[in-house]
Amino acid sequence: MSDTVALKGKQAGGWLGRNWALLFLLIETVAFIVLGSRFYSLENLQNILVACTWVLLLGVGETFVIITGGIDLSVGFVMGFSTVICAKFIVLLRGIGLPMPVSLAAGALICLTVGLIPGFVNGLLVARLKVPPFLATFGMYGIAYGVAEIICRNTPIIAPKGTGYIGNEYFFYIVPGKLFSFLVRPQNLSRLELRSMITLVPIITVVAFLIVGIFGFVLRRTRFGRHTYAVGGSVDAASRAGINVPRHLTFVYMISSFFASLAGVLFVLRYVTGTADAGSSLMLDAVVSVVIGGASLYGGRGTVKGTILGALIIAVLETGMVNLSIPTFNRYIAIGGILILAVLIDQFFPELMTRGQ
Amino acid sequence: MSEATGTQREAADRRILTYLGERWSGFFLIFLLIVFSFVGKNFFAVKNFSNILYFATIYLLLAGGETFVIITGGIDLSVGFVMGLVMVVAAIIMRDMYAAGIPDVYCMLAGSAAGLVVGVFPGLINGLLVARLRVPPFIATLGMYGVANGLTLNLCKGFPIYFVPPRVEKIGNSFVAYFLPGRGFTFFHRPPDMTADDLRNLIGIVPVTLLVTAIVLVVFAFILIRTKFGRHTFAIGGSMDAAIRSGINVPRHLVKIYILSSMFAAVAGVLYVFRAGIGHFTTISASYELFAIASVVIGGASLMGGKGSVGRTVIGVLILNVLENGLNITGLPTFYRYIATGLILIAAVFIDQLTPERRVRSV
Repeated sequence: MSDTVALKGKQAGGWLGRNWALLFLLIETVAFIVLGSRFYSLENLQNILVACTWVLLLGVGETFVIITGGIDLSVGFVMGFSTVICAKFIVLLRGIGLPMPVSLAAGALICLTVGLIPGFVNGLLVARLKVPPFLATFGMYGIAYGVAEIICRNTPIIAPKGTGYIGNEYFFYIVPGKLFSFLVRPQNLSRLELRSMITLVPIITVVAFLIVGIFGFVLRRTRFGRHTYAVGGSVDAASRAGINVPRHLTFVYMISSFFASLAGVLFVLRYVTGTADAGSSLMLDAVVSVVIGGASLYGGRGTVKGTILGALIIAVLETGMVNLSIPTFNRYIAIGGILILAVLIDQFFPELMTRGQ
Repeated sequence: MSEATGTQREAADRRILTYLGERWSGFFLIFLLIVFSFVGKNFFAVKNFSNILYFATIYLLLAGGETFVIITGGIDLSVGFVMGLVMVVAAIIMRDMYAAGIPDVYCMLAGSAAGLVVGVFPGLINGLLVARLRVPPFIATLGMYGVANGLTLNLCKGFPIYFVPPRVEKIGNSFVAYFLPGRGFTFFHRPPDMTADDLRNLIGIVPVTLLVTAIVLVVFAFILIRTKFGRHTFAIGGSMDAAIRSGINVPRHLVKIYILSSMFAAVAGVLYVFRAGIGHFTTISASYELFAIASVVIGGASLMGGKGSVGRTVIGVLILNVLENGLNITGLPTFYRYIATGLILIAAVFIDQLTPERRVRSV
């Protein structure tokens, strides 16, 4: 009898240990709804979605790296580097007279390609030359920032007008009782109608979630994903099982770097500027979102779903603070605190934390 | 017979390689000095060397504290922001007391003391997290990196703290000795009644801030090499289990180590206020922790722990600062130092991997 109670208690504890992040997100959201004004509104939901885009992208890239037992400290400055590259190329291509859509697409593509280089180098250093991930990516952190600052000469690059068109568009436009438009911003509205117009789901968030979804699938369902967990579980076992570990690690660091440069491209599309420190505060956020999501820094554990949860926790916190007009500086304190809390929960309920694989 | 000489020669080769692998940083520093002396105009001058040391003080302290942490096999990512926090606290107290009409000596003493006291806490918390709650050092100090940054920005609202007593900057920018060509040396204060021409020719030798830094570093280098505290530090880094079995109170020692690192950052912060005359918060892209950790690693420490020395860390810091100064003098933008630091950091680890001794150990 008492055994079943104990078992039930344990199960409940296990559920709590596995899902504390979800619970935390709920409590946090409810707290902000109660305390804030108009936190619970469609408009604010859009803010949260935009705010979580950057953390989400960097976090998902970081998830792959952390599952292999590595760490990528360079993501924030690789993102900054990418914003600079992207903005620079859009300016250049516009300068030689290419039409806007072409230069946007080309700029984004060039940026995404160039953005693979830091990851490739990180991967080579870690996988082939056996440099500890922490130091290899820390070196890249300095290099990416330095190169970006040199390219942009320490002043933000302003992309030409029209760059922000896509980035500031929404998926749905609804004027209540009158109009429902999809992807295209309705024209010729009166001022009153404009004010009552509801915009739903920013396009950049859709792009981000789409790609995150693809990589979530890759991690969960494909051989590539299984190999990633295997490398994180034990490098020796993975290579004995016939996985080409150096090659796999190189791919993983390239994925992380790809996500960082994707975040950079979307940043330029949204804010129309490229600056070297665009993502400087995001390295902390990315690692925190992954750790909140239940990954272990020792490798072998972690999910994209968990990281999404982590990114949402950070985004809700950020928008909630703005809503309560708490100075945004406090976000660093809160995020640092959550990071330590997450690891402590992990430490104190080890038997409960059987999530991930 | 010939086989024996063969192995002997091999052993000699290995010794040379090991020697080079361990001392390359010193040679590299000399190499940099020579190159920049030829390439850079006015690089090879007492005034410029004084300048390099003047800017190196902060990094010397941050890296000095980091050395202890890295020897135990840990890492402290929070040093830069702890320094920023101390700087802002010290400057605010100096400013407010001075504005209240208290004599500047008391303002300075109180501000510095408050800064140093504040500097204890991040280290204490880091240490408790790492040693008692077994949070990985990387995570604990990354959390503190966020917390210290947030606290700092909260205190200063994102602006530097101005209006500290004017004497602060005067003291921070004084030199131990002044040399005026033709009139000789004076100590601790400038020679009296100088003309404008004299002022330009005046050479300050050894900044006061450097003197303080050097004393701190020498004391702690001694502690690391010669005392029980130092031996225990190496023991923990070498093998945690062995250290526990040999009766070292490891958690207590680790807490002390993280407090030490944080205190070094606090001293750096106070000196920075004296040098700059303002309390400046730390920006993320200043990346102090990058330069501190890179210096320690360039000095030959291993992130696995058990290896490292204060002296070699000093060489690491000097390499980075000579490089920055040399790049500046040859007219390259300052941001090249980030690239150079990243490259040297990676090269340092790579060289460390190449040394035969290390290869044998890792097998």
